[in-house]
Amino acid sequence: MSERDKTHPYLKSLYAQLESRRIGRRDFLRTATLLGMSAGAAYSIAGISPGLISSALAQTPRKGGTLRIAARLGDIKDPHTYSWGQGAFIRQSLEYLTLTGIDNVTRPLLLEKWEASPDLKTWTLRIRRDAKWHSGRPLIADDVIWNLKRALDPKTGSATVGLMAGYLLERYDTGEVDDKGKAKFSRRLWDANAIEKVDDYTVRLNAKVPNLAVPEHLFHHQLFMLDPADGGEFKVGANFTGSYQLVSYEQGKRAVMQARPSYWGGAPHVQTLEFLDLGDNASAAMAALAAGQIDAWRAVDNSSLDAVKTLKDVNVYEAQTANTGAVRVRPEAKPFDDPRVRKAMRLAIDCKSVLDLGIAGLGSVGEHHLVSKSHPDYGPIPALQYDPGAAKKLLAEAGYPNGIDSEVYLKSAPAWESQVVQSMVEQWREAGIRIKMNPVPSTQYWEVWKKVPVGFTDWNHRPLGIMLLGLCFRTGASWNESGYSNPQFDRLLIEAEGKLDINERKAAMGKLQTILLEDGPIIQPVFRSIFSAYHKRVKNFTMHPTNYYWYKDVWLET
Amino acid sequence: MLRFVVRRLGQTIVTLLAASFLVFVLVESSPGTVARKMLGPFASTEQVQMLYESLHLDDPLMLRYVRWLGVLTGVVADPLGDPALKLGFRDQRGERYFGNFGFSTQMKQPVSDVLWERLGNSLLLAALAVAVIIPLALAMGMVAAINEGSVVDRAVTVLGTVLASVPEFASGVILVSILVVTLGWLPGTSPLLPSGRWPVYIQFILPVAVLALFVTAYVARFVRTAFVEVLATPYIRTAILKGLPPRSVIFGHAFRNAMIAPFTVILLQVNWLLSGVVVTEVVFAYPGIGRLLLEAALFGDIAVIEAATLVAVFLATLTQFIGDIGYMLLNPRIRL
Repeated sequence: MSERDKTHPYLKSLYAQLESRRIGRRDFLRTATLLGMSAGAAYSIAGISPGLISSALAQTPRKGGTLRIAARLGDIKDPHTYSWGQGAFIRQSLEYLTLTGIDNVTRPLLLEKWEASPDLKTWTLRIRRDAKWHSGRPLIADDVIWNLKRALDPKTGSATVGLMAGYLLERYDTGEVDDKGKAKFSRRLWDANAIEKVDDYTVRLNAKVPNLAVPEHLFHHQLFMLDPADGGEFKVGANFTGSYQLVSYEQGKRAVMQARPSYWGGAPHVQTLEFLDLGDNASAAMAALAAGQIDAWRAVDNSSLDAVKTLKDVNVYEAQTANTGAVRVRPEAKPFDDPRVRKAMRLAIDCKSVLDLGIAGLGSVGEHHLVSKSHPDYGPIPALQYDPGAAKKLLAEAGYPNGIDSEVYLKSAPAWESQVVQSMVEQWREAGIRIKMNPVPSTQYWEVWKKVPVGFTDWNHRPLGIMLLGLCFRTGASWNESGYSNPQFDRLLIEAEGKLDINERKAAMGKLQTILLEDGPIIQPVFRSIFSAYHKRVKNFTMHPTNYYWYKDVWLET
Repeated sequence: MLRFVVRRLGQTIVTLLAASFLVFVLVESSPGTVARKMLGPFASTEQVQMLYESLHLDDPLMLRYVRWLGVLTGVVADPLGDPALKLGFRDQRGERYFGNFGFSTQMKQPVSDVLWERLGNSLLLAALAVAVIIPLALAMGMVAAINEGSVVDRAVTVLGTVLASVPEFASGVILVSILVVTLGWLPGTSPLLPSGRWPVYIQFILPVAVLALFVTAYVARFVRTAFVEVLATPYIRTAILKGLPPRSVIFGHAFRNAMIAPFTVILLQVNWLLSGVVVTEVVFAYPGIGRLLLEAALFGDIAVIEAATLVAVFLATLTQFIGDIGYMLLNPRIRL
């Protein structure tokens, strides 16, 4: 089979659609790259510049120097189970198979390329021949398979299970019973051949159902490639493929990384990365930045933003994202079992004013269905208009002429969450929806987030709207916190996931979004921008919408 | 004296036991399990349940408490250190030794690895603060008392009231915005690591200043009141009338008697400086035991909370003990 034959048959049709302007350039880019076209080729066909090459590249990068970054330094032993914070730090050393860029386009990283079968069930992953471990050994298929299998083993405790269970795993009865005598279930690969070794540099994923987003899933925040010889453990001295080597790690204090000259992607510019743990207190990071103790504060919260902007040697970077938070109710119990009540709660919210009051206008308005206009698969449907009168009427029709009372659980930090909920609660009160706020520490929130009748949950940016719909609203999905179950929705969702034609997919998304507006369990008023602050001597930094960051391209001015 | 020491030691042990048990009950009653916190929000219920069982969190409270006591006294090994659990918990000191506080579930390392260093940092901060507070408070209080009713006295009183009513989180931010952001004279945080152009010793200035501002003003007011009272007693009047020089009256006659009340206050403050400096440590990212305790409490990391509590209670009883000895020296009429 020649190279040409391996390209996905749909690419030709995609190209024709671009030519006839049936689809936009961004739509073309994303789908074409997911189907295996290289980002460079896709960009040149679409006729747009990647916009990634910043003007700083016009200058000659300087080698050397120390970049100091504020970061929480928790336990780093098990990368496949990291929560967000640790991953952010270790990404300099460990790498993923793919990388979704700041333009929402997914590219190969440790892969050279991938190919999808016409039915989107078989994915062939081709590993870079030049990617080498620090030990000098090449990265091979056995390494990749070991990592995928380990992350997909429920015993490991990785959230990768939740992400890929739909097409790679099956639920089975373990044969054991718990204390209450109920059968214990677990998950395993749906087929012994689900992750298949083709040759030393080729791995094939054989899925049970089609999925277009496989390359995006390989960029899951925990899906690092570790050396099987290290047994899944990462520490000083462990093997890695990335651009920086961890040379010292003092938990809760400081970590030091040194540039790896032999990095397969070219040696990084900055010689030393020093991470300092300054705790969770925003004023400590702010003061350290002001005094030049650190060069980078990567998650500036909204409350510190104005203060940080006044620092004269600091650049503040913004990323407009689909990062959001939503109040969700559980439709299983009164009064939220009535769709009219749920819709009334949406009608009673003026999203624009939540945007202004809750996050000081630093974002964009939401439309109560988690899909953002910036998502390439946004279905163009009219937004629900703010109408407290209609909300009251709906409540009365549902049998609550005097309104309803409830309590919303939320995390006590970060501050923007309380402010958004506060402004929603004020607006609801006018429509007779009396909701009390119950802030709890975040660790406690995650213990009850799927149980409380009303809760406010934040959702990280994802490149596709449909990824969130699948995670949050599919019947029985592990992150379906509202317990929402709508057979019509589920059916449309599967249809939409398997749709290659972008316009058909958008139309299907429109139907899904409409269902959420009429019947859905969430009230989602805003999308937010995220911010980070870097000293002006840090050059060529670009901010990623997930706030992932890589320092291999950054350099320091003297 | 010996009987006193023995009795006090007995009381301390009972207090330590009671406090440690109370902490166990309190952590138990707070919502959210450690297993969920370790695995994070995205783990499935089944995964949480598996870890829950391997951490022995489903054992009865009393059993876990007694086991914790056994681990602390070196009688039994901490079950979390069992390699079969694959938690990766290992203690270089061995499985059983006296003073084993077990493993921190948040940091996944032996509590002893972090506790003593953090405690040392907090002791250092407290010692530096005390070294600033005592001379300053005594001087301010005495000057005010001697010049009772004068402008100096008024100034000390007003300043003292203002400073003592500014909480540390506010004074910390105010000092940072003036000395760090605007003037650029001092480093803004104190991780006690050389960072940027700031050597470590300069990083002590701001945390010590914040603690000293708050406590000095408070103690100075006590010193002033006590001195004013003593200076009004007949024996001081007699001393002055005898023609003794003021220096001799103040330091030879008034000082010792006037110190009894402020001494209590100072000891209470020392106690507070050792265990209650959470706010200052958090604001300046100071790696002390206060910040450790706060983070452990938010996570529900029972081994660390227990260890920090025991240390705090022990220090409290120790300062009390020193206080009792001190009273005896200041006032020979007190017998122990």
